Amino acid sequence: MIEFREVTYVHESGVKALNNVTTKIGDGETVAIVGENGAGKTTLIRHVTGLLKPTEGEVLVDGVDTRQSSTATLSRKIGVAFQNPDHQLFSESVKEEMAFALRNFGFSPKLVEQRVSWGLKLFGLEEYSELSPLILSGGEKKRLTLACILAWDPEVVMLDEPTVGQDAIQKEKLAGTIRMLASTGKTVVVVSHDIEFLWPLQPRVIVMKSGGIVADGPAPDLMMKKEMLESSRVAEPQLVSLYRELSKRPSAPFVDALDARLWIEADQ
Amino acid sequence: MMWLSSGFIFRRGSSRYHRLDPRVKLLISALMFVTTLIVRSVFQLAIVLVFMVAVAGIAMVLKRVAKTMLLTTTFSVFIFLVNLFFTKNIETSALYASRFIAIVVSTSIFFITTSPDELERVMKMFRLPRDVVFAFVTAVRFIPVMMLDALQIMDAQKSRGLELEKGNLLRRVRNMIPILIPLVVNAVVRSGELAEAMESRAYGAVPRPTSLVEYKASVIDRVVATGAVALFAFAAYSFYFLLPTFMP
Repeated sequence: MIEFREVTYVHESGVKALNNVTTKIGDGETVAIVGENGAGKTTLIRHVTGLLKPTEGEVLVDGVDTRQSSTATLSRKIGVAFQNPDHQLFSESVKEEMAFALRNFGFSPKLVEQRVSWGLKLFGLEEYSELSPLILSGGEKKRLTLACILAWDPEVVMLDEPTVGQDAIQKEKLAGTIRMLASTGKTVVVVSHDIEFLWPLQPRVIVMKSGGIVADGPAPDLMMKKEMLESSRVAEPQLVSLYRELSKRPSAPFVDALDARLWIEADQ
Repeated sequence: MMWLSSGFIFRRGSSRYHRLDPRVKLLISALMFVTTLIVRSVFQLAIVLVFMVAVAGIAMVLKRVAKTMLLTTTFSVFIFLVNLFFTKNIETSALYASRFIAIVVSTSIFFITTSPDELERVMKMFRLPRDVVFAFVTAVRFIPVMMLDALQIMDAQKSRGLELEKGNLLRRVRNMIPILIPLVVNAVVRSGELAEAMESRAYGAVPRPTSLVEYKASVIDRVVATGAVALFAFAAYSFYFLLPTFMP
């Protein structure tokens, strides 16, 4: 359980990045955090692993205040895949890159080997295992960072803009991985602008604006609130837009019979 | 790290000092720099430092200059100890140590009140080679970017279980490898991308490109520059002919 209690964070420059945020993320939930650039999404998830400490309020992970624990300790429970993969890749080979965190967490050599081959297979990186991670393409690097996180099997997986640089097939695979994680009881938090990617996952959605939470609820409910989405500069899913447009035409016989929820269920 | 280094990085300000012609700001900093070299006692240097603090106050960058001073104090303590070891003279050692602080503060005031664009134009006015100017200004402009990169890399590696604050010296140095490699790789990649972007925007197409802004010194600029030169002349005269006689 991750709990934010009246969290305010003020940057050194004086900019208030989070403003009195209170929310809970329960075990096994799939949560999407959306909002315009600078809304405070990344700042919020950086608080969970103690990379940032709240100026006011507190962040609790399983009841423990993040101020009382080091980032390395919290990271054993919470894996964060950051936005820019170039900020973490440094090893001689893809295999070594994946093993880095596992060794830091004290996994046995045998377990390291097992987890590395599992991760490489899951993300289709086996053929690159002996290559330098620095020569991979942007999308491959992104997949590698995700594999690195999942390798140590954290209870919570946080993904910051995971679809950037991914082609349609890889996005599909990523969505499948998120569903798989959710089905195994993991808590998954995805920060993304890619509404079309988030929509089929049907997550609980937290909409942020100017450092605060403006809406929080299931995707089908929130994504129908056009005004709220527009004021938060969040794009409406195409499916909802289509439904809205067709609803304006009373002659369309099938629209009356369906609402967005049914469409979603059909989609799944 | 960011907190200390902010004493050298430009941030937009609205003070009268910020609005001065960059050439005047360069002149003031250069004169303060030279003054720190011609002082002959700690007492004289203290007067120069008080003047620098006053300039920082006018420019409304007192806090940031204080950070610069704090950073340099650790180095100046080292300078003091080394000098004391070799010269066995406290006054000389204290003079060298405090001179180091004053030199850094004089340059810091210039850099934190002058934007990279202004810096570029000033360097071009001195007819320095265009490539040299571009390389220098780009380096200045990328300092904060690289610092931000370093912080983000540290965050990413800490999130993978890397303990940067634990272990003996050797272990801590080894733990810096996962920070330094991505930092250097990113810098190299970025410089390549920047070169391509500049070339695609016709960098180097003509030997002497035109400039968007042509500086013309205002009356205030001229008055400040004249005042700075006069004050420097008075200070130099005082340090050599007046103040030493008042020293105990």
